Amino acid sequence: MLDVAKKALDVAMATGVEQAEAFAQLNRSVRVKVYQQEVEELVSSTGSGAGIRVIGGGSVGYAYTSDLSPEGIEAAVRAASDAMSVTSPDEFAGLPQPAAEFPRLDLYNPRLAQVPVADKISLAMAVEKAALGHDRRIRQVESATYSESDSSVAIANSLGFAQSYKDTSCYAFLQAIAEDESQMQTGISFVTGREPGQLDAAAAGAEAAGRALALLGARQCASMSCPVVLDPFVTASVIGVVGSALTAEAVQKRRSMFAGRQEEPVASRLVNLLDDGTHPEGLASAPFDGEGVPTRQTELIKDGILQAFLYDTYTGRKDSRASTGNGVRGNYRSQPHVGPTNLRLAAGAGSAAGLLSGVELGFYVMDVTGMHSGVNPVSGDFSVGATGRLIRNGNLSEPVREVTVAGNLLDMLVGIKKIGNDNRWVPFGGSIHAPSVLIEPMTVSGK
Amino acid sequence: MLIDEHLAEKALAAALERGGEFADLYVERRASMSLSLEDGKLEKISHGLDAGASIRVIRGRSISFVFTEKTDEKSLIEAARLAGEAAGRGGGRAAPLAPVKPGSVHEIGEPPDSVAAGVKAELIKATDRAARARGPEVVQASIGFSDDVSKIMIANSEGCLAREERARVRLIARVIASRDGSYQTGYDSIGALKGMELFESASPEQVGSSAAEKAITMLDSRLAPSGKMAVVMHRGFGGVLFHEACGHGLEADAVEKGASVFAGRIGEQVASPLVTLIDDGSIVNEWGSGGFDDEGVPTQRNILIERGVLKGFMFDRLRAMNAGVASTGNGRRQSFRHPPIPRMTNTFILGGDSTAEEIIASTEHGFFAKTLSGGQVEPATGDFVFGVSEGYLIENGKVSYPLRGATLIGNGLVAMKNVDMTAGDFEMNIGVCGKDGQGVPVGSGQGTLRILDMTVGGTEAQRR
Repeated sequence: MLDVAKKALDVAMATGVEQAEAFAQLNRSVRVKVYQQEVEELVSSTGSGAGIRVIGGGSVGYAYTSDLSPEGIEAAVRAASDAMSVTSPDEFAGLPQPAAEFPRLDLYNPRLAQVPVADKISLAMAVEKAALGHDRRIRQVESATYSESDSSVAIANSLGFAQSYKDTSCYAFLQAIAEDESQMQTGISFVTGREPGQLDAAAAGAEAAGRALALLGARQCASMSCPVVLDPFVTASVIGVVGSALTAEAVQKRRSMFAGRQEEPVASRLVNLLDDGTHPEGLASAPFDGEGVPTRQTELIKDGILQAFLYDTYTGRKDSRASTGNGVRGNYRSQPHVGPTNLRLAAGAGSAAGLLSGVELGFYVMDVTGMHSGVNPVSGDFSVGATGRLIRNGNLSEPVREVTVAGNLLDMLVGIKKIGNDNRWVPFGGSIHAPSVLIEPMTVSGK
Repeated sequence: MLIDEHLAEKALAAALERGGEFADLYVERRASMSLSLEDGKLEKISHGLDAGASIRVIRGRSISFVFTEKTDEKSLIEAARLAGEAAGRGGGRAAPLAPVKPGSVHEIGEPPDSVAAGVKAELIKATDRAARARGPEVVQASIGFSDDVSKIMIANSEGCLAREERARVRLIARVIASRDGSYQTGYDSIGALKGMELFESASPEQVGSSAAEKAITMLDSRLAPSGKMAVVMHRGFGGVLFHEACGHGLEADAVEKGASVFAGRIGEQVASPLVTLIDDGSIVNEWGSGGFDDEGVPTQRNILIERGVLKGFMFDRLRAMNAGVASTGNGRRQSFRHPPIPRMTNTFILGGDSTAEEIIASTEHGFFAKTLSGGQVEPATGDFVFGVSEGYLIENGKVSYPLRGATLIGNGLVAMKNVDMTAGDFEMNIGVCGKDGQGVPVGSGQGTLRILDMTVGGTEAQRR
């Protein structure tokens, strides 16, 4: 792919633009979905393409193409120039200077390609079987899935950067459906890795089944103000929203509740939040970001004090700062933009059970809906639908559904009283490593 | 011409070499453009070309699907063989191709890919100016414009050959207004399955101005109360709630697996007699429409619920084969990279005999949900949650002050049974629906209607 990127860069520079960058990507993927021990869907693909960014007079233009023939690249370069011709000039536009050093990461596991498809199908079936075998009330499993991706990425820019890397990733996912006389409940689980041998199918199946069963018989509870414990999945969705608000773009565009709060306490002293683009287990890890800047660890919140925001090259220049290696891009079709890599909320001292122990009456949240639509990014006010269980005298008690949990995200961060040591990777809404947390008080609205 | 008919026939034959009941080929070439404006500046302008093909082989309830970004003969035949590999024993047959008639025709007046970037830039600048002109409170406007023109060819082993050219154009405005340290947002959008002629009948200024007005109105809002009350859903936007809370449960994949509250209930009264729910992908030039669905089935008008009685589900080819019925033209996909699945097109509740004024006037205490910000539903249970970005208190039959931070929470079946008034002021809104990682354009609509006893989750209690 490095050759493709370099050639595309040459074509772009030949048009006389001041700066240019070519991003090329080759991706192979396999996805297996099974249902009732039969393959429901087997999807395989090979795809490649390039994204070209040109800059002239402070204006940026972007175009991408899935056609890597010389004509395809030329058409994309022309389209990028056309886009550049109408973009407003911006003094902060520009490409990053090539760095001297990059983190050495082990992101590629050749076993992924060597394992036969039949074994990957068996893995998805094992996930389904584990859930079904867990309890008679697990009536079926929706979306028992194995999915993998093997990709290589290359970037070349006119300031002399030209590098590439390869990575592999895979995950297994399922949603178990539990049913009794009164109702149906669902529970999810997933495991991630760099090759299928790292995925524990039995554990994922059992967890999804356990989560669905725990909610059977759920009812609306009475409205109350009480301590709330978020399980790691729910903590992860909260951290995902916090992470987007900690990007320099959100701050500069006055769309962040953290704007102007640097060096101030924004959370409980227990809170340590890190963006880590180099973690070996993080699926968002890479030696460099979408514009060729080395990734790193960035402390966002330390002992509750807001330390820093996340920058790509453009937002960095606006604040006279270097990029933090957060110019992310999902694939060749998207322009780089500032975003979190892997977010890690540091584990606390106690176990997850320890979080419940002091709670006389509280709410243990296992799922929230509407986290992204339900949060005002500027004020931090939110209201989300929630399911989970009541906590009575330190123990998990009857299941609850159809309630809302409302409040303010900043108040919530400050209200964190305990953090568990049960961190796990959650690959939804970003790549997030999150533990359980105890927050009080919060408003639960039911009947 | 994307690829030659002969090549399509060859690829289908190759796909069925080792068996399988059905194979289809989807070839697409999509040129797209997006522009966005923030802080009065045009930034992130991008052109895209996505070209490729996918081949699917169905055997029993199982599909094998291969996509590739190369559409030359060698790559297509290779992809076809790979898709057919999993099928097993015994060769299947592909019938000779013959063209199929579309369910409706959607003329493209002015194809967006023939219009210079500068013209589109002027449209979004005009939207921005209109938003800012609405009041000094407007501190931020982000305007987005996107278009795409797709040439699509669909061929299958039953001999169906469908070709269509689709153009879509969409304009979105998000506005932030501020006063005394309080910030509120407003949103509006327009879009259609047509070319740039959309702007002959709809004005970009109206989109900017309406988004700004919503943001400014919400500056006077108070925190929403919590509790059960009558909820009046404003025309247009409320359709999203029924899309999420009922529509997804009526898609045949959820039904087939029993992961829907509607499974096995055809003929039963599942909603108030005032509710007639329709999905229609054949409405001319409507955002969620098409001449065909993405499996080459002509689009049509499907009655899902009639006067409260469950009439039918939405099928793609695979689920229709499994159920032994005909596809309803609801097999849709995001692109050649995605297998088709049952999806809504334009889904709406027919307008009723009341007026919006009557509905409000007859509501003593309630919540008026004017704009929803999005939501989620669990199809297995029908439980949903929706954010309300613009809501008002209704007191003594009158719309009172605006409320912020409200969430509607409930259950699709219960909500549909509790509809007790519907108005004739029908309106359709546009959006992009996500399911199984695929986004497709959908319309959703309704007249103003009232739902009794819905839970409103507010933030008032916490601040008191």
